[in-house]
Amino acid sequence: MADITIALAGNPNCGKTTLFNALTGSKQYVGNWPGVTVEEKHGKLKGHDDVTIADLPGIYSLSPYTLEEVVARDYLTEHRPDAILNIVDGTNLERNLYLTTQLVELGIPTLVAVNMMDVIEKNGDVIDLAELAKALDCKVVSISALKGTGVREAAEEAVALARSGNKPIPQHRFVGSVEHAIAHIEEVTVHDLPEEQQRWYAIKLFERDEKVQKKLGLSDEVIAHIENDIQACETELDDDAESIITSQRYDYITSIIGTCLRRANKGELTTSDKIDRIVTNRIAALPIFAAIMFGVYWIAMGPFGTFLTDWTNDVLGGEWLTEGSRALFESWGLSSWLVGLLSDGICAGVGAVLGFVPQLLVLFLLLAILEDCGYMARIAFIMDRIFRRFGLSGKSFIPMLVGTGCGVPGVMASRTIESERDRRMTITTTCFIPCGAKMPIIGLIAGALFGGAAWVSTSAYFIGVAAIIISGVMLKKTKMFAGDPAPFVMELPAYHAPSVSNVLRSMWERGWSFIKKAGTIILLSSIIIWALKSFGTVNGQFGMVDELYEDPSIATDEYIESVAARTGISPEEVNPMDDSILAGIGNTFAPVFAPLGFGSWKPAVATVTGLVAKEEVVSTFGVLYNYDTDSEEWDDEGSPVWANVEADFQSFSNGHGQIAAFAFMIFNLLCAPCFAAMGAIKREMNNGKWAAFAIGYMCVFAYAAGLVVYQIGLATVGALNPIGIVAAVAVLGFVGYMLFVKKYHEAEELLVK
Amino acid sequence: MPLTLLRAGEGSIITRIGGNAETRQFLEGLGFVVGTPVTVISVTAGNVICSIRDSRVAVSEGMAKKIYV
Repeated sequence: MADITIALAGNPNCGKTTLFNALTGSKQYVGNWPGVTVEEKHGKLKGHDDVTIADLPGIYSLSPYTLEEVVARDYLTEHRPDAILNIVDGTNLERNLYLTTQLVELGIPTLVAVNMMDVIEKNGDVIDLAELAKALDCKVVSISALKGTGVREAAEEAVALARSGNKPIPQHRFVGSVEHAIAHIEEVTVHDLPEEQQRWYAIKLFERDEKVQKKLGLSDEVIAHIENDIQACETELDDDAESIITSQRYDYITSIIGTCLRRANKGELTTSDKIDRIVTNRIAALPIFAAIMFGVYWIAMGPFGTFLTDWTNDVLGGEWLTEGSRALFESWGLSSWLVGLLSDGICAGVGAVLGFVPQLLVLFLLLAILEDCGYMARIAFIMDRIFRRFGLSGKSFIPMLVGTGCGVPGVMASRTIESERDRRMTITTTCFIPCGAKMPIIGLIAGALFGGAAWVSTSAYFIGVAAIIISGVMLKKTKMFAGDPAPFVMELPAYHAPSVSNVLRSMWERGWSFIKKAGTIILLSSIIIWALKSFGTVNGQFGMVDELYEDPSIATDEYIESVAARTGISPEEVNPMDDSILAGIGNTFAPVFAPLGFGSWKPAVATVTGLVAKEEVVSTFGVLYNYDTDSEEWDDEGSPVWANVEADFQSFSNGHGQIAAFAFMIFNLLCAPCFAAMGAIKREMNNGKWAAFAIGYMCVFAYAAGLVVYQIGLATVGALNPIGIVAAVAVLGFVGYMLFVKKYHEAEELLVK
Repeated sequence: MPLTLLRAGEGSIITRIGGNAETRQFLEGLGFVVGTPVTVISVTAGNVICSIRDSRVAVSEGMAKKIYV
């Protein structure tokens, strides 16, 4: 038998991905707001190796209004799957059937699966499936994707249907004049297409769908010709073509609903509505939101989260991984460089990152609960009126919230934003929010130089938010981003108790991608960094710098003094690593960061390795500062590395280590994100120039912010640098001009892709 | 009158959808079609959550002003 493909199609948030996971045994991410699936995904039906299931993004109709609609529609019309499994949310039959009436016109065998049957029964509603099947001319089954009931049967039905090739015959007829026009359009434009496809194309042409006009390659004369028919209809019915089609579809659906659905509850407020009355209340909405977010971050970042991280670092990272592994490898009699590579390179680098996993998992768990119960979608609504003031829509908030976990899904979540202008703005600013991988950087700087002060991590979030607001207002005034944000329209899922499996899966998925990075990219770069810092040329001899320094005939006193003179430190502070290859590399671009206060090779190297993954900044520090640690135990003062970090920052900034460290943190939080996120930006912008602009903008903004903080910081402690302060004031002046003086450039037209 | 003028809990019937073709088409896809009953669940600074065809849809002020009831 030939291989067959079945496409899952349905409204956003109606359970397609849950069903997809159940059918294919895969573990795609399921979210509880519309638009989680943004591109089609494929999987094999369990037990049928010859059946491919394609999960399409959720759509309300087959019009080309949003990206998801374009993706789904192109898939259905270009690839023409062997069958469509149309998932219909039974608790919201009327709206869901709007898509169904369009799907059956495509001329592809269609099975309708009414989902959430358990909820319908609980509400006491009754859906007459046989009547529905008759009205739509396709098979109808009932399922509950979440509970897994009826799912197998639905899949088997769909396979049988695909093999039989029974196409539905659209039962709905528009009023006479419209049908007449459609018949005429069919005749002149799509006569050579297979018969079952003609109707869909003809209706789309009647709606003046430009994408379809282009795809069929219609000449201007033909378009002008059918335009006569369309206009005749519009005059007769006193409405525009699209509205005629839409409203007649709804009339038809209303008639179907009348015969198929018996409601127990008529027009009363549901529990979900009652909750909405409170949490989206004019006065209470923001305080409730603030309290919930404070609670989430207090649990994840406060005493509880810190306790978890401390425990992991002390016991797992410090004792077991680094020291335990060293003792073990030494007992095996491995040579010293190999022990160094394994313990100081790999274990210290990877361990520095893994220490943050428990804390991150707590944060991801709490965000997953908020999302699954339906509150996340409300947040977008509540934030809309605030975000609108600086040129973003409330939908930009979800990418940012997801971005607190990881920037990659954050950038991808921007796809639900319809307006291209808003989407670009959101992509450009989302990565300013400190992601999970940046938290270790904050933790390191706060721990090493600020005695673990809580305000440091809080300020990081404020700086992220401020960066977004300032960027939003500034960019809005440039020609590229002019105009008001697109209006906000979003379907809100009904509140429900979060499902344990969904929440755990979502937490695990985000956490796992973090751990996976630690095991792959970070492992590899830890090895490379270890090698680069361990080898180098000392007084003309190449080798492991530690060993060369132990040889007094190579590391002579004069030589050490020359190194001290070169690096500007006292001879006692000279460290073998100052002669490593890595120091050489770091020193070449360290001067770039001098105006920001960290023009020294170690932070410079860490900043660059941060492009591989932001966790890498911390693991690079873990490798680079892991020397001279007399006290091997992690005491209350934190990691032994921290003392070295503090000493180094104090020494290269002439005692202004805290200011330099803060500038370092700000630069690393705001500058270009990791390669993975840059890849996501490139994909979502779908345009190299825009991606380059976004990444370039982040770097420039980060540099400016670091410069201002360091130079003004120096000035306030009385160590004013004349050139630096002039540059900082110039930057502030420019930002001030953009924020308060420059006028808006009103867009001439609303930008939509 | 525009939808924004309804108070929380009030219901009415859509009489007209304004805006350009794209806006209208999108609203219609969500169920905002002339003749459809709509109930306002909550109003926050002009932004509206309403109940239409058994679903809850959040609409910003700019869009809600284009929906006449």
